[in-house]
Amino acid sequence: MHFFILYIDPGSGSYILQMIIAAVLGVSFFFKNFWLAVKAFFTGKRPKKDEDEKDRAE
Amino acid sequence: MRSHPASYRDTAGFVFLQHGKVYRYVHPAYEMHYSSLMESGLYDELVKKGKLVGHSEITERDIFSFTDGKILFPEQIPFISYPYEWSFDMWKDAALLTLQVATAALKKGMILKDATPFNVQFNKGKPVFIDTLSFENYEDGKPWVAYRQFSECFLAPLLLMHYCHPGTHKLFSVYPNGIPMDVLVSLLPKRSKWNMNTLLHVHLQAKFSGKQKQKSGVEDNFSKQKLEILLKGLESFVQKLSPKKIKTTWDDYYTDTILGKDYLQAKTTLVNSFINGLDFKNVIDLGANEGYFSLLFTDDKQVIATDSDPNCINNLYLKNKAAGRSNILPLVNDLTTPSPAIGWNNTERASVTERLKADLVLALALVHHLAIANNVPLGLIANWLQPMGAWLIIEFVPKTDEKVKLLLQNRKDIFVDYNLEHFKTIFAAKYHILKEEKVGNTGRILFLMKRKP
Repeated sequence: MHFFILYIDPGSGSYILQMIIAAVLGVSFFFKNFWLAVKAFFTGKRPKKDEDEKDRAE
Repeated sequence: MRSHPASYRDTAGFVFLQHGKVYRYVHPAYEMHYSSLMESGLYDELVKKGKLVGHSEITERDIFSFTDGKILFPEQIPFISYPYEWSFDMWKDAALLTLQVATAALKKGMILKDATPFNVQFNKGKPVFIDTLSFENYEDGKPWVAYRQFSECFLAPLLLMHYCHPGTHKLFSVYPNGIPMDVLVSLLPKRSKWNMNTLLHVHLQAKFSGKQKQKSGVEDNFSKQKLEILLKGLESFVQKLSPKKIKTTWDDYYTDTILGKDYLQAKTTLVNSFINGLDFKNVIDLGANEGYFSLLFTDDKQVIATDSDPNCINNLYLKNKAAGRSNILPLVNDLTTPSPAIGWNNTERASVTERLKADLVLALALVHHLAIANNVPLGLIANWLQPMGAWLIIEFVPKTDEKVKLLLQNRKDIFVDYNLEHFKTIFAAKYHILKEEKVGNTGRILFLMKRKP
């Protein structure tokens, strides 16, 4: 399996970095969604559809 | 079977050419991943959306002298362009496509094992992912093996164009395997650290690269959910990027032109009358600016519009995108320093001169820039144009012209041979001059020529 998966160099430290970034972005997305939900509750508007939902609607 | 010179990195298979057509060989050891792509519905989904190049499987393996594996015949892309010839929004769309393909793959239990812009081509006005063998089954808990490659190959050029200059994508021809993070950081302004995404994906990555040893076991602590967040984060980051606004020489050429509307109208009428009845399928528009003349051609003609000005080419790309126009491929190309042949043994990526071939070549308001601004003798210009196409529409701009006077105002006129008679003598040696018309009330002359056999 790794015969293929590592045909490019992932870069040293890249895996730890991805964990840090995913954690930071995870927190940031959580607050963003929370804020959108609060706004939606008060304005009565539904949050924007994401790409998937748009694709399914097509 | 000899593989394409650029197809040697990935052991999963290779691309080869047979009778001028491109094929892809799939190694038996990779077939499990290929089957997942085809059977999971991912291939159908991506091809239907125009995000992945479609292919058919060739069943008669023996005609290519293979005894095992699979042979794919992908939809053929008429012109291969390279990332260092793309403008900002072409880069941006190619990066977004790569992330969208990776996200769609993850939903079907697969992942992209590499992320280079060489896996993307522009076909029918849109970017399309061409590497069918980039897909691999995703092992849960693994981070994205191509994250560093994506950062150096997509984020780095995009950020340089965002923070520094829209023409800095050319640096990618020097670093075609990705602009190293330390090089990128040395070029970006300090204020780029104030952007959270740039801080995380670039400045932090530059700190990590080369210093920290990979700890074993770390790669198993990731998750599919974290990977989705990473891809979503990268997509929203790229989505927000815009090219740095810098006024270039050729911005507003047509709106500010001292030559006026009458000149453009007269030239348009002449070009239309020249191409009327001409038998051709594809066109190269050299020095196209924002594609004013490329847009004259009907949808059944394939046009490659090149200009050295990245702003002009980007505007043309955006105009085409907005209008859903699919027959024009805009490319940033400085004719005086065209994209060279690069990569391993100088054979991986062909030079633009080798790739630029068409039935009809347009060289409008161009010769004086090459001959006077860049000192290229007329004989060399004719030698260069002749192999490019059978038909040539070329404009001669005399020394009495305002634009040529501007070019000469700060320098000595060393161009004794730059006159209409000499121009005609030089070109008549290589072409039959079929038409010669004055453009409106200017001193400029438009020629229709046919290459001599």
